[in-house]
Amino acid sequence: MFANQIGYYSLILGLLFSFLLCTIAIQDFNKVNKKLNANIIILTFLQLTFVIVSFFSLILSFINSDFSNETVFNNSHTTKPLFYKISGTWGNHEGSLLLWLLVLTLFIFLFLLKSNSQPKKYRILTLLFQQIIIIGFFLFVLTTSNPFNYLFPIPKEGLGLNPILQDPALAIHPPILYLGYVGASIIFSASLAAVAQNYISKEWAQHIKKWVLISWIFLSLGIMLGSIWAYYELGWGGFWFWDPVENVSLMPWLSLTALLHCIAVLERRATLTSWVVVLSITTFTLSMCGTFLVRSGLLNSVHTFANDPARGIFILIFLFVLIILSLGVFFIFHKDNNGNQNNFFWLSRETSILINNWFMMYFLSVVLIGTVYPIFLDVISSEKISVGPPFYHKLIAPFLIPFLLFMALGPRLKWIKSKIEKKYSIIIIFIISIILTFFIIKNLTTNILFYTLLLSAAFFLFFTTLKEFLTKKLNNSSQTIAHFGFSLLILSILFNGILSSEVITNMKIGEKFKFGKEEIFFKKIEERRESNFNSIVAFFEIKDLEGNVVELEPEIRVYNQPLMVTSEADIKTTLLEDKFIVMNLVKGNEYFNVRYQSKPFMVWIWISVFLLGLGGTIGLFKTRT
Amino acid sequence: MKIFRIFIILLLITNFSELKSDEKSDILKNKILKNIRCLICQGQSVYDSESEFASSIKLIVDKKINEGAKEDSIYSFLIEKYGDWIVYEPQLNKNTYILWLLPLLLFLLGGAIIVKKIQKKNE
Repeated sequence: MFANQIGYYSLILGLLFSFLLCTIAIQDFNKVNKKLNANIIILTFLQLTFVIVSFFSLILSFINSDFSNETVFNNSHTTKPLFYKISGTWGNHEGSLLLWLLVLTLFIFLFLLKSNSQPKKYRILTLLFQQIIIIGFFLFVLTTSNPFNYLFPIPKEGLGLNPILQDPALAIHPPILYLGYVGASIIFSASLAAVAQNYISKEWAQHIKKWVLISWIFLSLGIMLGSIWAYYELGWGGFWFWDPVENVSLMPWLSLTALLHCIAVLERRATLTSWVVVLSITTFTLSMCGTFLVRSGLLNSVHTFANDPARGIFILIFLFVLIILSLGVFFIFHKDNNGNQNNFFWLSRETSILINNWFMMYFLSVVLIGTVYPIFLDVISSEKISVGPPFYHKLIAPFLIPFLLFMALGPRLKWIKSKIEKKYSIIIIFIISIILTFFIIKNLTTNILFYTLLLSAAFFLFFTTLKEFLTKKLNNSSQTIAHFGFSLLILSILFNGILSSEVITNMKIGEKFKFGKEEIFFKKIEERRESNFNSIVAFFEIKDLEGNVVELEPEIRVYNQPLMVTSEADIKTTLLEDKFIVMNLVKGNEYFNVRYQSKPFMVWIWISVFLLGLGGTIGLFKTRT
Repeated sequence: MKIFRIFIILLLITNFSELKSDEKSDILKNKILKNIRCLICQGQSVYDSESEFASSIKLIVDKKINEGAKEDSIYSFLIEKYGDWIVYEPQLNKNTYILWLLPLLLFLLGGAIIVKKIQKKNE
């Protein structure tokens, strides 16, 4: 009860603080003093505090199952474990927007705290731009998505959280993803401020780089968590389906990755200024577009919590305001002052980074067009088409071949003008990659030429970066680790795709099924009871030729609130392969529908994303010292 | 005896090749099923779904493959019946030229911009 009111009024106070902050900041802007008015940081901190209070009062309502709160009523239930009561806070539209606000205010506070050495006017402008975004979101939450709506009479019981969201990976997926997704807002605000102050320079690049890295690391990990969840929860054993909602998170990642590389050029050579600004604006715009597409209900998915046209229209208008604002700032203030001595030579680090950006933008355009085009076509001609995995594979996979090669060679080049050094070792590594690939691939029947090329390119990057580890003193360890991680990612995805095998069959208790070199034995079932679901647990044994037995226990859960049947896969992970089993009920029948998959190198996909993140983290600490 | 041996070998060979073609049609079948959307499910392919709709489509595809139909003709059959929405790989036609070609055009454009930038700076 109380929590409701505290939460609501904290939000209103938070909004008022935005206006207060803007007024003080504008006053301070024209004052001669060199230092930022100390009150500004205090006020930003207070604003953050109010959002935190609001957020915690919502969490408290969830913990106490306070059903006088409409959000809690719609998304929680008394029988749910505490952990999922808490994670339910952001597992819905209203709460997740509150999380947006929390991250927005957190980042501007941290930014002001950490940017002491930066020019005052630049910091103030960053604050102002960020406050525009924050005000927009405050208004959005308060007018269309208030998390503290009051219900009377107070219901006795809530409607419950969608069972497939009751999962540990998914509980932490939104906060991590948002730190990346919304963290891009500070890059947006800072770059606009820097444009307005004509401050896009080497110093600025050094300072903004760590913010780009932070967003990038969290975004990478957040996407991975979502992917892990899809892998074991959605029951089909894949980790990426090119679903519009997945694409929407991938798009800012691609543009952020391009920005990350581009910043390095700016840092060294004070060139590509316009492009850096464009990428900064693009990244956050894509985050906002994603929010619009998901929240407006245009895309149908797990993430579409509620379809309310008013929300869609609000975000759309807000999105246009932000785009017009940023383009306005860009065209009025931006001076392209890099026409001086900065020559680009064909063989140079800068050119290789331009090539990286070229491919990144291409991948981005594929994903963007593939995601958005069907919506436009539907609106214009009311014809519905599906754009699924084959489209993306056809347009992306061939381009990965040159991309991987450039990725291996680029970092070996020097800035400004370079020669290819140690040609022989490159050629030797290349030949080794091709031979290795050929021996691996020759027994597999599918599309030999294409896979040979793609795998060779991936191996080439793999060995090149590996050699870097072994021979050099690792002067650019973050880049090497990240590139190594990427080569590992592509290799494990490819091998996983080529070598995976699976079978779908109907089995009853006591039955055995022979699948390739393995035998699946359906031993027994057992019933279990939990507070929020009842389940049937099945016991399977997978025996291979050598007689090794692996036990797997998939489940069918019947959740009570809301009433819903889900299949929980069981997965045994080893370094070499995952064994994945999931079962479904067959109507009016003693048989169960069993799906068994053996998925080689699955765990390496996650490990390689961790390596990417590790590379980023090392880069983060290096820029600080 | 000799005839018997040849007979057995022949039997083995025919059996063997039959198995092979079975395996092949299975791979083809799975590939097709993964490329068809289950119209009544949310974001699932027919292959991944156990719904009645999916089961009926599986039977149709099975039948078509046994009749010796090609992959493309199965898709066109399904599209005619259920519309473009059913296949995950959009066919190239007047509705989808932009979808397929625009990314490639942008790629070429990007390449041209880079080449121009480097050449201009070098002059």
